[in-house]
Amino acid sequence: MRISDLFKTATIGVTVNKGRSLLTMLGIIIGVGSVVLMTGVGKSMEGVILGQIGILGPKTLALWPGNQGPEGGAASIQPGFDSIKLSDVEAMKKLTTIQTPVPIVFVPGDAQFGRETTDPRIIATTPGYYLNQNIEIEEGRAHDEDDEQTQSAVAVIGPDIVEDLFFSKNPIGKRIEVANRKFTVIGILKPVGTQFFQNMDDRIMIPFSVAQAMINRSYLDMVTFRSVNGPDTARLDVQLLLRQRHQITAPKEGEDDTENDDFLVRTAEQAQDILGSVSLGLTMFITMVAGISLVVGGIGIMNIMLVAVSERTKEIGLRKAVGAKKNDVLFQFLVESVYFTFIGGMIGVLGGLFLAYIIALIVNQYLAQYTFGISPGAIVVALVVSAIVGLVFGIYPARRASRLSPMEALRYE
Amino acid sequence: MLFDIDLKIEKGESLAIMGPSGSGKSTLMHIIGFLDHFTSGTFLFHGEPTRQMDDDKLAQIRATRVSFVFQAFNLLPRTSVKDNVMLPLIYHPSIPVDEREKRVKKAIEAVDLSDRSDFLSNQLSGGQKQRVAIARALVTEPEVIFADEPTGNLDSKSGIQVMSALQDLHEAGHTIVIVTHEKTTAEHADRIIQLYDGRIVSDTTKFKTRVAKKESSLK
Repeated sequence: MRISDLFKTATIGVTVNKGRSLLTMLGIIIGVGSVVLMTGVGKSMEGVILGQIGILGPKTLALWPGNQGPEGGAASIQPGFDSIKLSDVEAMKKLTTIQTPVPIVFVPGDAQFGRETTDPRIIATTPGYYLNQNIEIEEGRAHDEDDEQTQSAVAVIGPDIVEDLFFSKNPIGKRIEVANRKFTVIGILKPVGTQFFQNMDDRIMIPFSVAQAMINRSYLDMVTFRSVNGPDTARLDVQLLLRQRHQITAPKEGEDDTENDDFLVRTAEQAQDILGSVSLGLTMFITMVAGISLVVGGIGIMNIMLVAVSERTKEIGLRKAVGAKKNDVLFQFLVESVYFTFIGGMIGVLGGLFLAYIIALIVNQYLAQYTFGISPGAIVVALVVSAIVGLVFGIYPARRASRLSPMEALRYE
Repeated sequence: MLFDIDLKIEKGESLAIMGPSGSGKSTLMHIIGFLDHFTSGTFLFHGEPTRQMDDDKLAQIRATRVSFVFQAFNLLPRTSVKDNVMLPLIYHPSIPVDEREKRVKKAIEAVDLSDRSDFLSNQLSGGQKQRVAIARALVTEPEVIFADEPTGNLDSKSGIQVMSALQDLHEAGHTIVIVTHEKTTAEHADRIIQLYDGRIVSDTTKFKTRVAKKESSLK
């Protein structure tokens, strides 16, 4: 039997009952579709993270109290949550490998203007923050050292706050109430959307000195600074300085050198790696689930092929009677089964790409750095795996078909 | 089960195997038609023993040297007359692809169905279906055509058409073996063998009757 005849015969075999063929392929379509979709979304997220690191700049570093970091969850920051004091920041200013260390305190409370209320993130910090985070001002000005010195009650607000409290009115110069104290709005932030899964447009920035008077707290929630000669030197210097200042004992042999620290320093690159591995982990997990659905789809195909073999027993008998060899029948059914999974895989790829595209269109409205991404490797792997699924689950029904004796098959009712 | 079968079929003969159901006539046809293995005895085809042949060898003989017409027609459903007749050619090891169309056309002409060649098999009457099956049987130009109850599912008029088509093949030089329990069908053949309980009880050639060797031992 010629290869072309084999494929023609198998094509007829799967197209005779199109509705059933489509249902048979559904498991594979969903499996491959979700693999393609999830790897595409993963790719897009990777682009977003890289883009955000780009905005922040590779020079910016962050210091947190506690040694679990924000990605460890809020509860785990507790041991040592008050470990970083303003005096630490003062000491950091003496280091030559870093610049503009800025203290940050998150002030609880809401913001009000007239009858409107909103729930912002109130960030009390010094002017260096604007530099470290590459924050741009859309209108008005950022607060400066004079405001810190005079403890003036001024606020710089994000575009979401403008929208929530002022609608279309110009907020510059208006008095708003932040955490139960009156502030004058002096500037509006340029919209940047979401960074590291956090909305950056709902911030209110107030002078650090004002906040200190308000909440009377000696410890800090976060410190950011910039490196002068590369992030790694900066990180090591800050670590050494703080260990010395906090009298941290050296960790035991074989332990991580940050083991006993009551603080955590992260470079932008490390943050990128962590976010990257989180999104990779998620992608892997969902891909695994999709893989299971491929196997389930394969079992569905085996089932349908077994039905087809018994339904078409007469046809098999006839083919054998007119001279089909065992292998002719075996390959015919095998190719039919691979057809199901391969065509199903193709439909799945197209469907997955389409969905990823739609998601990109929608998410892009809220997250400008999110663009449509494709993972070509995953597509190839998904197609190959689905073809293999067809082979593996097709072989049993195909063997059964090929072993039928022509006479018994013809007599089968 | 067959017993003491001693049968020689000459090239170009037209033979009818008769007998009631259970007499073994189908079993005999399956063996001499290379459809089934047999466990004892000898069957020589062109002087070559066939008992040791494996499935693929039998399949190859079915593809090239013998073919079948079945009682139930066994056409591929929802498939055109042309494609049904084409079927044996895709399993034939040596007929080139560009010769297929020509052969199919010739075979369909031979059974007088040229005007139906694009019809689907389920759009045909029983007699037409059986003629398609005959076209399918002759498209590879086999040496022997076996017909298993070819008129069994047909009315008498269609039956006569089918038998005359088979007769034409015989006249064209093919060896024809018909298995039937109908006397009218068997009478189209030159030679009639009667089977009973797996044994040949009579072997009659037209105009000349001779008693089968084993007949006496049966009675």
